[in-house]
Amino acid sequence: MGKFMHNVKKHVWSYVFIVPMAILFLGFTVYPLLSSVRYTFYNWSGIGVPKDFVGFKHYINIAKDPFFWNAFRNTFIYAGVLVPVQLSIALVLAVILNSKQLRLKYIFRVIFFSPVVTSTAIVGIVISLLSITAGSEISRVLVQTELINRPIDWLGDPRTAMWIVISVGTWIGLGYPLMYFLAGLQAIDQELYDAAKVDGAGNVDLFWYITVPSIRPVGIVVLLVTTLHSLRVFDIVQVMTKGGPYFATEVVGTYIYRHAFFGTGVGEGDANLGFASAAAFFMGILVMFISVLQVAAVRYAATYRQKRP
Amino acid sequence: MKFPSVRRALPKIFIHLALIVFGGFYTYPFLWMVAGSLKTRQEFFGSRLSLWPRQAIWENYREAWESAKFSVYFGNTVFVTILSTLLVVILTSMAGYALARSSFPGKRILVGVMLATMFLPKGYTIVPIYELIKNLKLLNTLWAVVLVNTATSMVFNSFLFVGYFTTIPKELEEAATLDGANFLTTYLLIALPIARPIIGTVALFEFIDNWNSFFIPLVFTLGRPSLRTLTVGMYALVGESATDWTLLCAAATMSLLPTIILFFLLQRVFVDGIAGAIRG
Repeated sequence: MGKFMHNVKKHVWSYVFIVPMAILFLGFTVYPLLSSVRYTFYNWSGIGVPKDFVGFKHYINIAKDPFFWNAFRNTFIYAGVLVPVQLSIALVLAVILNSKQLRLKYIFRVIFFSPVVTSTAIVGIVISLLSITAGSEISRVLVQTELINRPIDWLGDPRTAMWIVISVGTWIGLGYPLMYFLAGLQAIDQELYDAAKVDGAGNVDLFWYITVPSIRPVGIVVLLVTTLHSLRVFDIVQVMTKGGPYFATEVVGTYIYRHAFFGTGVGEGDANLGFASAAAFFMGILVMFISVLQVAAVRYAATYRQKRP
Repeated sequence: MKFPSVRRALPKIFIHLALIVFGGFYTYPFLWMVAGSLKTRQEFFGSRLSLWPRQAIWENYREAWESAKFSVYFGNTVFVTILSTLLVVILTSMAGYALARSSFPGKRILVGVMLATMFLPKGYTIVPIYELIKNLKLLNTLWAVVLVNTATSMVFNSFLFVGYFTTIPKELEEAATLDGANFLTTYLLIALPIARPIIGTVALFEFIDNWNSFFIPLVFTLGRPSLRTLTVGMYALVGESATDWTLLCAAATMSLLPTIILFFLLQRVFVDGIAGAIRG
């Protein structure tokens, strides 16, 4: 014990340096994590102290709620389409932007990164204005050429709204994987390419046999990050459609927000923070499970490839 | 002699053309927004997709700045962003330094818990955070936004600093200690100046994150419109003057421009920062 206290005293400055961060970390990360789990067992509108203990009822109700599964399915459609499309475009674009012969590199970088450094909430608003304007022009042309009979209200039509949201999400987030890929490409040894060229490899060969394997480690990180990020989608849906029309674009993020602050939106449901926390926790566990699966799958694929002759 | 060089130049020209066309489509929403902000209402609805206003007018900006209160929102955003960014840089560089340079009792537990929370689902812990802010009597203040934005950036950035400090050699600091410098002066006079690149990266990313933060200020300023930040103000403006599109365009341009300019000026820091994060 004496030795312990001596050790503590010796590091007194370290504690002074750590304590502010540790307090904020415990207060705003650890405590909220623990207590949001506790809320999931109560009926609670957010006023006063949670008293109405309901056990696992919220979890059971969520598992039975078709609106949750609708939001769940939409979230996975969003991520399932966005991630592969965004990563493919980002990789090709990164290779082009990294090429030595390219002029105006810096201008192009600013162009493709600009949606990333701007606020999703505000850009989402601008895009919804634009989609009304451009959308009505496009559907006017489509009607004139008799490809469709009636003008389409792109964000107001349950059949098209989700695709608009996905396209905008892909556009807004493209810069992140692009930046990671660019950084990864810059780390590749140029001599690999020179050697392959001497052996008569073409540009496509260089891409598949040198570029792709070399940035695979970065690619795995990017895949994980973009998947997690897109499963947490909220801002863009909230400002563009609020989950509508008729829940066609509702994702788990907006489902939770709706239940936490406004109630079910159907029938006479009230705001219920207990229910919302349960939905959040349920989704959090699922997402964690998925990322574990993803890591395992990537590992398996890597070892499988190595084992092949 | 001319022919082969033309044939070699062709793919290059093609790639540039393709990039310009794609880049044009890519930035079209921004250009359309800026053009819209400079048009009169009549012109806007007459030439809805055009990018060139017949005559640039600044009336929309004046209206957004004054009657739509964007001057207030701008001030609030600057306040929140600068304060949170400063706090994050100071607190996480200190914590990162201590974690990297000393092995105090309790360090392993702390690092373990910090790592664990990075992988645990948190995204939706806003409710207990709201309760905490309420108990601290900070509800409907800008301090709430500063505090929550700062606090939720602690773990990731502390680890960035830990990563940086463990890669730089200790010799200079050890020499300083022999000369009688204590932990604090070593940190201030030796470690911090060496850490300039990582400070730049953290500060830049934090600045942009805080400027664009939407959900936190939305929740904590619901009851007090005068405390709105630009993102929340923009969201509210859509509800209030949904039909006044040229005003919306001007307000959006004003809100988005600072981070785009910042990125344009400091893009090296960005790419280097990301490259550093990958290596680390």
